[in-house]
Formats: sequence, C-alpha cells, structure tokens
Amino acid sequence: MLPQFDYIRPGSLDEAVARGAGDGAVLHSGGTDLLGCLRDGVFTADTVVAIGHLAELRGIEETRDGGLRIGALSTLSEIAAHPLIAERYTVLSLGAGSAASPQLRNQGTIGGNICQRPRCWYFRGDFHCLRKGGSMCYAVAGANQYHCIFGGDRCYIVHPSDTAPALVALGARARIIGPSGTRVVPLESFFVLPAQNVRRETILEPGELVAEVLLPPPGVGLRSTYRKVRARGAWDFALAGAAAALTFSDGRVNGGRLVLSGVAPIPWRAAEAERVLIDNPLDAETIRRAVEACVADARPMPHNGYKVDLVRGVVAETLRSLA
Amino acid sequence: MKHYLPDPDQIPGEAQPQELPPWGETRVVGRSLSRVDGYELVSGTAVYTLDLTLPDMLHAVIVRCPHAHARVVRVETSRAEAMPGVRAVLTASTPGAEIPWYFGDDGPTSRLFDSHCRYAGEEVAAVAAETVHQAWDAARAIEVEYEVLPFVIDEAEALEADAPAVHEGGNLTEQREFARGDVEAAFAEADVVLGGTFRTPCELHAPLETFVSVARWDGDRLTVWDSTQGVFARQQELARYFRLPLTSVRVICPYVGGGFGAKLSTGKYTVIAALAARMTARPVKLAVTREDSFLSEGNRPANTIRLKAAAMRDGTLTALEGEFLGSVGAYPSGAVSPYLLLALYDCANARAATTEVYTNAGRARAFRAPAFPPCAWALEQTIDALAEEIGMDPVEFRLKNLATVLQLRDDLPYTSIGLRECIIEGAREFGWESARSRPQQDGHLRRGVGMAAGMWAYPGEPRATVFVKLFADGSVNLNMGASDIGTGTKTVMAMVVAEELGVPLEQIQIEHADTGTTQYAPASGGSQTVVVSSPAVRAAAVDVKGQLLEIAAAELERPAEGLVLRDGQVVPIDDEGAAVPLAELRGLRQRQNIVGVGRRHPHPEGKIALPFCAQFADVEVNTLTGEVRVARLLAAHDSGRVMSYLTYENQVFGGMAMGIGFGLTEDRVLDSQTGKMVNHNWHDYKIPTAKDVPLEQTCVPIDPHDTECNTTGAKGLGEPAHIPTAAAIANAVYHATGVRVHDAPITAMQMVRLLAETRGD
Repeated sequence: MLPQFDYIRPGSLDEAVARGAGDGAVLHSGGTDLLGCLRDGVFTADTVVAIGHLAELRGIEETRDGGLRIGALSTLSEIAAHPLIAERYTVLSLGAGSAASPQLRNQGTIGGNICQRPRCWYFRGDFHCLRKGGSMCYAVAGANQYHCIFGGDRCYIVHPSDTAPALVALGARARIIGPSGTRVVPLESFFVLPAQNVRRETILEPGELVAEVLLPPPGVGLRSTYRKVRARGAWDFALAGAAAALTFSDGRVNGGRLVLSGVAPIPWRAAEAERVLIDNPLDAETIRRAVEACVADARPMPHNGYKVDLVRGVVAETLRSLA
Repeated sequence: MKHYLPDPDQIPGEAQPQELPPWGETRVVGRSLSRVDGYELVSGTAVYTLDLTLPDMLHAVIVRCPHAHARVVRVETSRAEAMPGVRAVLTASTPGAEIPWYFGDDGPTSRLFDSHCRYAGEEVAAVAAETVHQAWDAARAIEVEYEVLPFVIDEAEALEADAPAVHEGGNLTEQREFARGDVEAAFAEADVVLGGTFRTPCELHAPLETFVSVARWDGDRLTVWDSTQGVFARQQELARYFRLPLTSVRVICPYVGGGFGAKLSTGKYTVIAALAARMTARPVKLAVTREDSFLSEGNRPANTIRLKAAAMRDGTLTALEGEFLGSVGAYPSGAVSPYLLLALYDCANARAATTEVYTNAGRARAFRAPAFPPCAWALEQTIDALAEEIGMDPVEFRLKNLATVLQLRDDLPYTSIGLRECIIEGAREFGWESARSRPQQDGHLRRGVGMAAGMWAYPGEPRATVFVKLFADGSVNLNMGASDIGTGTKTVMAMVVAEELGVPLEQIQIEHADTGTTQYAPASGGSQTVVVSSPAVRAAAVDVKGQLLEIAAAELERPAEGLVLRDGQVVPIDDEGAAVPLAELRGLRQRQNIVGVGRRHPHPEGKIALPFCAQFADVEVNTLTGEVRVARLLAAHDSGRVMSYLTYENQVFGGMAMGIGFGLTEDRVLDSQTGKMVNHNWHDYKIPTAKDVPLEQTCVPIDPHDTECNTTGAKGLGEPAHIPTAAAIANAVYHATGVRVHDAPITAMQMVRLLAETRGD
C-alpha cells in the first residue's frame, strides 16, 4: 500500500522546481520506479509533485550544432523507436529498447531512467541498510550475486540503468534545472559513487531535476552498440552489459568510450580498455587486451565472481560486433 | 502424493464397477475446439475470487512475523483498534481464534496464530476494516514485540546437533529407505559406474491470481468464495476448523487464476477471513499480497540428490542409487521423491534413501509434479552420462532399459505404456539423429540437443458424481464438482457430453466447483481431473441418452438400438430423413427435463494407469556469456486419449514453459544473515517471460488406445508435461558445450563460470 501523500500538479516548470525543493517532496514523471519504491517502503513522501505534463520537458529534436536534444520526459519506447537515434546513436536506441518490458518502456522516461534508485534487494527489501540510513550493507556478507565488482565501498549496489551507460559512452550532457538556476553537466559526472555519498546515486540537489539530455553530434566514423546480459529475456536489469561508442579512422579506433552496465554503482567507464583500443585496429589481439584491461581492477564479492567472466564475454562480443 | 492428495488405495472401492464400452471413433472428443469459456476469459468478464465484491464487504489484511524464527512476546492492538474504519483486530488471544492448525493428516502442529513463529512471513495478527487501505494502516499500527531466536535455513545445517530446533523434537521430519536387488554387487560387477551430486532450486508457484478468499456468514452457515483447486477439500477443512456440519459450509470457485498445487490445501488466510466475517457479521475479503504469497503460500523445496548408476557395456542398466535431502520448510509437508529413480527404468538393483527436514522457511506445498522434476533433473542427466560413457546414443540407451511394470509396487502391470512410442516418435519428429550430429558453426554460439523421459505416479482418486440434465428444448446442463484451474476442464467435459448426446457445445451450460449445488469431485491436482471426472460425465450423459432414446423409441415406433443422437436430433440409423429434433419429442416436453447421474467407477483391479512422456530440447549456448537460449522443444506424451486437442497442447506448452523456469531462471533466495527472502516479487524472482520460451514447440500425442484405464481412455497430462523439460535442456546444454551442469537453474551466472573453468581461465 502506498503511504499517504499530497499530490501536486504544478502549472509550470518553475513551480515544479519550487515545490520539488520542499521537504519530503518527490517528483513524479513516469512513476514506474517511484510508485514501487513508495509501495515497498523504500522511502516515503509527503508530497508527490507531478511533472509528466510539462511540455518544456518533452520532445526529441536536432540541435543547431548537429547534436540531439532529448527532453527528460521522452519515454524509453520513443527513444528506442526514434529513427535518428537508431541511425546515429545506436547504442542509446539499443539501451532504451533493452530496458524493462514494453509496458514499462511506454511509461518510463529517460529522465527517470537515469535517476532511478538501485535495485539491490536489500535496499528494496525490509532491511535497514546503509543506503537507507542504517548501519550496514547486507550485501557484504549476504546474497551478493547481483552486486558490483567495481567501485564498491561500504555499499555495493549496481547502477540499474541501460540508457545511462549509453549516454556516458556518447559523451552526453544533462541540463539540470533547480531552485538556484540551470547547470549543464556531463553525464559522466552526474552519478555518485558510494565513496562520495552512500545515500544517493546522482548529484541532483533537492528541487533539481533533469530537464533534458544533450547528445553531441555523432563523431566521424562512429560505430556504437549496446549488449546486455540478463537473467531472462525481458523485464530484467543487466547482470553485465557493455555500451561501446567508438570512432574509427583508417581501420583504427581513434576515439570513443567503452562503458559497462550492471557491474558498478555508476555506469562504469572502462578507461584502461579505452586506452588499449585507441590507435589500434579492432582485431582479435586488441580485443583480447581490451577485455583483460576491463577486468584488471575487478574486485568480486563471494557470489559475483562470475561477473568477471561475464564482463570478459560481453565486452569481447560487443567489440567483435563493431570490428 | 502423501501430504497433498488422498491415497487412492485407501479409498473403499464400489461394489459395482460401472462399465461402458470404449469409444470407437469419436465425433467431438479429440477435436480442436475453442474453450467453452474462452469469451469470458479473454474479455475479462470472468469473475475470479479476486474480482469479487459483496455488499457491505470488509477487507482484511494479515500482520506477519518479519523474523525467520521468533516468539511473540506481546501484541499491542489498541492503537489499531481505534483507527478509522477498523471493524476487527484478530490475534492469538482473540476469542474464537484459538484454532489448532493442521498441516496434513497427522494432527495439529500449529495454531491459526502461533506465538512460535517459525519463518519470516508467519501469521501473527489480522485486521478487518472498511477499506483495504484502512486495514493496512491499522495493520502497521499493531505493535508486536518479538523474542528473536536463532534460525536455520540450510537443510544440511538443520541436521547438525546444535542446529536451532524449528519444532520440539528436532528438525528431522522423515527418513525413508527403499531397496531392491543387490546394489553393492551390481556396482562391483558393472562395466561403468558413475554419479554425481545434483541440486535443484526452491521454486515458487506465483499464480497470476494471488491467494484470496471472501467469506460470508448467514446465521450458522458459512459461504466462502475461494481461489482454490478443490472446493470439496476446502469445505471439509473449513467444517473441521469451525466445527460445522458439511452442509453448513459452502465453497464456491467459478474461476481460478492458477494454482499449480499451491491452492490445494487450505491457507490460514481463508480461515482468518471467515473468522473476521463471523466477528463483524459482515462479508470479509482477504487477498494475500503478491509479496506475502511468495513468503507464505508454498514452494517446491530445493533438493540435493546424490546419484550413482551403473551399466554394462551392452547398454544394460544394472544399478541405481540415490540419496535425497530436502526441507519441507517450517511445517509438515513433502520435499523429495525417489519415485522416478525406482520406477522409470527396468533396473533390478535400486536403492534410495530420503531425508526431509524442517527449516525456518515457508512450508512446501504440492507444485506441479512435486518432487519429480528435481528427481528427473538428476536421474535423466545421469542416464545421459551413462549412455555417453558406454558409447551409446541416449535414445537407444533409454529404449533398451524401459520398465514395463511398476517395480515399486511388486511389478504391478500398467493398463498401457506408451513410453517406447513417446521416445521413438518424439525422436523421429524432432529429427534427433540429424540434430545430434549437426556440425557446430564457427564462432561462440554452440548448438546442442538433449532429451529426457518421465512418468507420473498418481492414478487419481476414483470418486466423483456428476449430473447431466437435458432440458425440453434440447439444451443441456452439466453439473460437476470439478474445478477448472485454467486447464480447460470445462471444455473437455462439455465435449464428452456433446459426444454422447449429440448436442452442440453452445447448447451446454456448466455449473461446477460449488459445494452447494454440485456433487463431490476430488481437487484438480495430481493430473487427475480428466481421469476422474470425464468417466463420470460420460456415465451421466449415457444415463440421459438411455432415458431419451427410450422416449424417442416409443414415439418413433423404432427400437432404441436403431437410434442415434446427432446435431440436436434423434436420428434413425437406417432412415436419416426421419430425424426428429429433440425439442419436438412430446415425451421430453411432457417431462420437461431428463436427469442423468454418473459416478466414477473404481480403478481396474491388479493394474495401474499412469502417463508417460519424453521431451526433446534444442538449445544454443553463448560460450562467451553463458546465456542459454532454448531454440526448440518437442514433447511426446502418452496421456492416453487426447480429449481436446487444444487444451492438450496448452497443457504441454505450459508445462514446458514452467520447465524452462525450473531449468534456467527460477530460484528462491533466502538471506543467510536474517533468513528472510530477498526475491519475493515478480522482478527479482525470475519467472520466464515470453522471450524465454521458444516459438518452435511441438506436441506429439501418443495414444496407446487404453481401454482398461477408465471409460474415456484418458490418463493425466498436467504434471508429466513439466517433469522432464529441465533435464532435457540440461542434456542439450551438455551436448552443446561438454559442460555437465549439476545445479539448476542453468543461469548465465553459473554457466559463464563453468565455461571459463572448462577452458581453464
């Protein structure tokens, strides 16, 4: 059962920001994550501020610089089916299309998808864990098969989004609107590791919301893809995934990013692997070295050692598909 | 089927076996006809218990123990009682709530609200209020003080001397041994001996409609609408709990949104609803939440099976030995079964030892062929490995060792056994030989095929009474006690009536699953519904037919033997032009209706009727990621006569989809630190989706034309359809990769590691 709360439908974006900054306020766009969290008592809310009707937050259109603006309320279905995104930013199209289920993709928004709370079953369940203000992370000595192998520190969640790794791989930025104005932040700097703050996953301050996501123009020779491994064919988060957006010139990789999903508390840039790839042809030897570079810093927990093998496999398959 | 369904051998036989000649060629039975309730089901007009709203109805919710093991010290309800809309708060000390609770037939082992809570999710208190929201608010306001106790959730640890005791008297619930022949000698003399330890996961039923009851009292009479697989079993148990005569308890269930065995036994929620209804003099609905259903309303327990098998080089299976360990959860139930090990193959030397224990976890319930899929998982993989070891094709090896009698029951003969045909025809339709030798493509995807056989053990509880009523206009009312748990029972039975009375399906109305208006039938479980009820339906229809033809013979001045019923008419065989519509029979109009009564005849003496099957799987394994994709499945089943082709195929495909879950995705996870379930929702508990089930599924019915099993020739289908699927997939995975996966489910998590280990990474 949902807790009791006030529901506000603000008349403007400014009002939404003002109301969203209030104590105990949460924003409601697609609601696919929010309602589940409220129902399961993950957190509570005194005020639910609707933003799903705000036209400023909608729309997908090309920008003057040749990039793309994606309004935060764009649904994952819209993004997955958008021909321009499929053509120019394949990794994002695939990421959006592989999330959740058709029903959830019709309802869930890109803004919500990158701001969703972790799916850790201790966080979501009846456990007063560190991230909820408790004193321990139950995953450390518990059922940690779905937890992180990179970036864990006191808390070992994985970031659940399939679009966020794609956006980081593409070098996207988020335009954030809040009570003190607007700021534009690279997606890569948007997410927060447990070592920085164990209670939240993004840099958003109270009242701040993601208004839109800005994609740079696709680089020359860009090839991108997203591959996700999950426990079943649909309605599931990544056990591990790889979002690759690489640019090629003269048969060699000359730029781009490789970002892993499902293995770290944030979309995890495989920076060492990127260094291996750059200036090299994407051949078997480069891929082998990149794969090993991806897992060199992995710190598996007792029940998630398989993720090291899985990252190897999914990265190898992803890179081969771009070669 | 101990703990779940009555033992047919303990049911007194009837003096007069009712014998009808077997059907020859049928006109309706066996065809592909749409479900008689198809419109209601797909249009959403079918009223399930969860949909039911009665005037003045209250809503009840349950307060559950959050600890795996605890004692209730104090329950403070005053704040909840004062909250708006609250009409009743029930705890262990509420007058009338001190009800001893039975799990099975061995006397009470708990209470409705037991102060000793033995698993996380056990019922502690309940609230009934005007709205379900008010009930939840009040439930949260109930303060329960617990003394938290040490818990045990691991089966092996439960047997250790210093393990926390789930019940006084220790955690061992049952140990059994079965043996025939000389296993030791056979192992010593065998050319090949191999084995291994297999583990299967704890699986949750997860029916689409959750567990729900609506209770209403009229004076001392109790009416319960319940999402149940058997209204008569529920009636009996409610009568016991409330000390009422059977006639004062009416249980009704027109539609069930899935049960899979979990809705055979009475849940505490039903009794709590009835109790709250009595206290408040209002109807009360209690719908267990999805999450709480996972905790409290049953599971198929994890099995650990250590298997050893031996064969001679010529392909003779010479010895089978198994040790089975499983937990019933916190209360008496069943956990393991060596039945397949001891019955499926002809094997002179066999031994099995079973150990069942209590743990601080939700109680096991019947679950589509309860412990058979785990046993098939271990046995059929071992058989596959033996065949390879002696260099024989797995199909050929199985064919060489098929049992022809039930060795578990002193070599009792079967009324029919189509297992050989299932394997041969299945392999042929599947293209076994060519698929088996298919070359691998380059790259990291590996294809493989595997198969597994199975059988089911429950012949059914042979008692049911059915009424068939023919109205003056030629339309028909079928009145039967059986529940249709989504399998198409109503359609099958209507087809039986149509077969005998020659009326179209649209002219048949069905009343069923209501203890107030229909006659006894056993619960729909154990694959017995068609087996038990269809002969009774046939007998009732034949009774009507006899009376009708007598009337018609007099009016048409022709002998009854020369008349048949077809298309709503009485047709003289030698003068079809003289056919008369039923509505024009004066004698029928004069009587207004003809009522026929049919009773299920006893099982045949000295023989047993059981179904058999073989299933084949074609898989693709991604050797980089460990993902397993089931590309194609084929099921060849001897379930006797195909009564209704579409529902038959539905059962087979549904059973296999469930087998994909058992083999590839599903696994209840309990947190070792707290004993609490961490995946009690539909996201974290991985039921397969449409994308996990192959498009290419083939159903190959094998009909041995069994004229002895019963008067319709049908054997059960529901459980066998689920038994060998996971094992066939595991054997296909082995064929694809050379990796023998001992632990179900074969997740990418497990497979990617096993593949890496095999490569030596």
